[in-house]
Amino acid sequence: MTTDFQLPAIDYQAISPLLILFGVACLGVLVEAFVPRPARRRVQLGMALVGVLAALGAVVLLAGTNVVTAGGSVTVDGPALFMQGALLAFGVVALLLIGERRVEPGGAFVAQPAITVGSEADQRQASAPGATEVFPLAMFSLGGMALFIAASDLLTMFIALELLSLPLYLMCALARRHRLISQEAAVKYFLLGAYASGFFLFGVVLAYGYAGSVDLAAIHAAVDTSQMNPALLYAALALIVMGLLFKTAAAPFHVWAPDVYQGAPTPITAFMAACTKVAAFGALLRVTYVAFERLAWDWLPVIGVIAVLTMLVGAVLAVTQTDLKRLLAYSSIANAGFVLVGVLAVGRTGASSAMFYLVAYGFAVLGAFAVISLVRDREGETTHLSRWAGLGRRSPLVAGVFTVVMLALAGIPLTGGFTAKFAVFSAALEVGEGWLVIAGVVSSVIIAFPYLRVVVMMWLSEPSESTATMVAPGLLTGTALGIGALAVVGLGVVPGPVLDLAHDAALFLR
Amino acid sequence: MSELSEASGLLGYVWLLVAIPAASAAVLLLAGRRADRWGHLLGCASVGAAFLLGLGMFGQLADLDEHRRAVEQQLWTFLAVGDLRVDFGLLFDPLAAVFVLLITGVGFLIHVYAVGYLAHAPHDQTHESAGTARRRFFGYFNLFVAAMLVLVLGNNYLLLYVGWEGVGLASYLLIAFWFSRPAAATAGKKAFLMNRVGDAGFILAIFLLFAQVGTVQFSGVFAGVAGMSSTVLLVLGLLLLLGATGKSGQFPLQAWLPDAMEGPTPVSALIHAATMVTAGVYLIARSHPIFSANLTLQTVVVSVGAATLLIGAIIGCAKDDIKRVLAWSTVSQIGYMFLAVGLGGVAYALGLIHLLAHGFFKAGLFLGAGSVMRGMDDQVDIRRFGGLWRFLPITWATFGLAWLAIIGIPPLSGFFSKDPIIAAAFDRPGWTGWLFGGAALLGAGLTAFYMTRLFVLTFHGPKRWTEGQRPHESPPVMTIPLILLAVGTVAAGWLMSTSVVDWLTPVFGEAPEPHGLLSHGQVTALTMAVVVIGGVGGWAMFRNGTALAPAPAGPVVTAARANLYGDAVNAALFEKPGRWLTRALVYVDNKGIDGIVNGLAAAVGGGSARIRRLQTGFVRSYAMSMLLGALLIVGAFVAVQAGWFA
Amino acid sequence: MPGPEHYVALSALLFTIGAVGVLVRRNAIVLFMCIELMLNAANLALVTFARLHGDLNGQVMAFFVMVVAAAEVVVGLAIIMLIFRTRRSASVDDSNLLKY
Repeated sequence: MTTDFQLPAIDYQAISPLLILFGVACLGVLVEAFVPRPARRRVQLGMALVGVLAALGAVVLLAGTNVVTAGGSVTVDGPALFMQGALLAFGVVALLLIGERRVEPGGAFVAQPAITVGSEADQRQASAPGATEVFPLAMFSLGGMALFIAASDLLTMFIALELLSLPLYLMCALARRHRLISQEAAVKYFLLGAYASGFFLFGVVLAYGYAGSVDLAAIHAAVDTSQMNPALLYAALALIVMGLLFKTAAAPFHVWAPDVYQGAPTPITAFMAACTKVAAFGALLRVTYVAFERLAWDWLPVIGVIAVLTMLVGAVLAVTQTDLKRLLAYSSIANAGFVLVGVLAVGRTGASSAMFYLVAYGFAVLGAFAVISLVRDREGETTHLSRWAGLGRRSPLVAGVFTVVMLALAGIPLTGGFTAKFAVFSAALEVGEGWLVIAGVVSSVIIAFPYLRVVVMMWLSEPSESTATMVAPGLLTGTALGIGALAVVGLGVVPGPVLDLAHDAALFLR
Repeated sequence: MSELSEASGLLGYVWLLVAIPAASAAVLLLAGRRADRWGHLLGCASVGAAFLLGLGMFGQLADLDEHRRAVEQQLWTFLAVGDLRVDFGLLFDPLAAVFVLLITGVGFLIHVYAVGYLAHAPHDQTHESAGTARRRFFGYFNLFVAAMLVLVLGNNYLLLYVGWEGVGLASYLLIAFWFSRPAAATAGKKAFLMNRVGDAGFILAIFLLFAQVGTVQFSGVFAGVAGMSSTVLLVLGLLLLLGATGKSGQFPLQAWLPDAMEGPTPVSALIHAATMVTAGVYLIARSHPIFSANLTLQTVVVSVGAATLLIGAIIGCAKDDIKRVLAWSTVSQIGYMFLAVGLGGVAYALGLIHLLAHGFFKAGLFLGAGSVMRGMDDQVDIRRFGGLWRFLPITWATFGLAWLAIIGIPPLSGFFSKDPIIAAAFDRPGWTGWLFGGAALLGAGLTAFYMTRLFVLTFHGPKRWTEGQRPHESPPVMTIPLILLAVGTVAAGWLMSTSVVDWLTPVFGEAPEPHGLLSHGQVTALTMAVVVIGGVGGWAMFRNGTALAPAPAGPVVTAARANLYGDAVNAALFEKPGRWLTRALVYVDNKGIDGIVNGLAAAVGGGSARIRRLQTGFVRSYAMSMLLGALLIVGAFVAVQAGWFA
Repeated sequence: MPGPEHYVALSALLFTIGAVGVLVRRNAIVLFMCIELMLNAANLALVTFARLHGDLNGQVMAFFVMVVAAAEVVVGLAIIMLIFRTRRSASVDDSNLLKY
């Protein structure tokens, strides 16, 4: 074999957001090594924020681009840019939460997670400034997510999946308080995540076996022409979809979500809920719309059943939850089901409604977790519902923000949640998937109850001795809260611009 | 539908109607303690301003040519998904105008009354300063008015739904305002649950509309009605009706409304008597092209109305809590409105006239009840009133006028509004005319009976007060709204019966000639006869008061009822079957309908508690569920591929 | 002489052993090894399919997978060590604080 090795053509501008993210992440590692400890947090936080904002700016500049580059492994098209934009916007808010040190002295993360919980050394570090490694980890994860959305072959997608997951596993274990459940969450997330990515990889391999390539467009082309046994293709589809559904927390692959959401440090939970959801659905949309579109009639009913199951499981199980982080985990499961309804309305309207839903949900959930990080007692955050009774009287403003967010999640009109639900349901109706809409409406009726119960607890109960205190938000968390609340209301009252943007962006490049 | 006119002059500012109360609500809820001292004044002023504005617009609208009497104002695009485009647009037509005047006019009076009422209300329950509680209350109250105005002014179903959810939320907050009372919290929950059932129907109807005609704009939908199959129309109408019954407390979703009386009395008057509960009637009236296009649908609406008006009236006879009696009476009166709008044609206007008249006299009754309760240290049991007319003369007089109005004594408003509905019900061809007409007639007699019972037991007969009570009249800030409402009750009926039908003609079309079973005169005579029988019967029976129940009310009360009325002859001829029927209905209401709703909730909760256990916390069992899920998906796909499902 | 289909079958078998192993073993390290087995089964299949299609990409991909697996080992062992230090046990069944 004497073929010349040809360098792939790379459109550096098109992948500039990715380059910025990974560049800042690598720089962050260097900062850990060379910058003196006291200055690290400022440098890291500043660098990360500037990096994400720069990447966001690059995404905005790229608007309208439609190229496949980097040797055919990255696609920069409308959906990729829209969802990268959403991802980076959420990333900014999540970084604000991660960087907060006013609320918890030293920050939400512990300096040396490897020190045994409860040991003397551990007590010494109880109020020491926390780990700054979390910033490069978050940047790597964000970079992985941005790549995940834009990956145009399955191998790149697999690598991006690992790239976004591995830092997340680590970040889950870094909580300053409640270390035992934090570590447990990390172990569970890691083992199940690795398990799921094993399935995903095997699906990739089977797809390669069927099509002779892992390129999404090549798989699309091979659907009609390949000589291989079509069972390979269907098994590949099943396993790949399963791997992606795991990340979106769709039933029955949702089992990890409640435990991990509850155990992980709250800023990381917020990051996972908003950003991972976007990334996973971005990849799911791309795989199903680009590679397996010709099989749509075959996967529609199967994923449809999963969507219905996901909505119902999330909604029904949320009803009896007493821990707010866990409640939001089940809400995140139910919302994955609602987004799936949009995904299943195969076509431009479906994709755009799903993307809009992700934006509306992301801002709401970031706001919710921002509030959760503020409600504390001496032991740290208090997430039990009963401890929130009467908080509305103690701190009306923050409780008001939480109320708006809960109303949005419940899908009350004039909030982003309502517009989003309306968008996905009408998209599903447009293609004649009425059964999904009925299941969706029923689930949203059920799940409105737990959300509003929290609101009622906060406003209509007496504050008692067990009521937690609401720490005044620092600048960072305050900004995050403000962004979340404004976005939720804005997307509810004037959703037009974002809906239009999503609609214009919702064409996949094959 | 009539054509649209240019939105000129004052009519170009329809949006202000919504914006004023909304802005005031925002100020009240966000300003914090600073607004404690003047918050309630702002609350009243904003609704008053909206009323004056509405009045001005009403005048302008009336000046327009009859066939172009509607103004539309597009504010911005609310959402655009695929082919669906919904504008945030307001429609000010005769129907909306009538509602705007009712909401802001009666709303303003109730706001003013609430200032006096809250000055007396037990704030210590809330552990916050009286000013803060009052500010919060008026904030919610203004929010409610704004949402209600969105509901009636929206020019499409989606905006109607926005207002619909908004009033639901506001009423939920207001019912539970006295949150330290567990009953209030439970009532709030029940109202919420039942309304969600209705709302689910409504939102499905909106989706169905979108799927059928591709728009949710009123004009577009009504243009598309002709192209719909009768099955679609039926399903659509039933879904809308489900939404309407939930909001309006109609059969089978009526149980939440009486429980909602746990809230403060001005709330009961504004939300659960005058405005919000009539939203269902508005929805059906607004959707009249849909309902008129399908006869089965009309029959269903009429049946719901007839059933509810009887259920409400019968249960109203058995209740001893002054506000509950009024609540069941509201259920019953809205039943009349449903009956009317179900009859279709000119009866739509009749239903709306009754709605307006009811808005006045029922608000007056509730506010009067609040005044009585205030004078009697929050006592609500009518068996512990009696002889109050001497101590609360203004309340007595206004309550008395409203009482005469609701039972339909001419020349008060109830006569002019209810009588034509009964006549219209008899106009229905065939045996259904007799059935529904008879139900409406019987309902009128029962209404006369239980309202007379309420009035006599409260204001006349021997005193049956608890020790040490000194009844006293309310301050002018409360009595003046009462007097104004009474004036409205006297004047409105006649005014409305002549002009409102003409006013609403552009919306509902011309009145056809009646060709009924009975002439209008005969119906009037019959109605008067049953009303007089009911009223005189009630007066005679309760003239001397009633036996006192043992003070702690409970199951004992029910047992003690056997000798409630003393008169054995009465008991044998009239009481026993009546009481049996009443109790059966109360039982069915508590166990049956409540049971179904509560049962559903319990089933979800129980299922949730059980399924939760599957989340064992063991990572290996999670892996198991993932593996099984993977196997199922792979199996499903392989099956699809092998064509097993084809 | 074994053909490509035999290699695919072997790979599927290895994958199944790994997938079931995760369910039946308690030790976190062993669990993790089972997951690695699944990745390696994928590698075997990759190489086989590469041979079948006469396409080198499959073999290159196997290298990618190995690198990813190595990274996963680093992270995984760190997390498992962390919880082992605290709990003095590598059994995944002991981590059971978060449930329902």
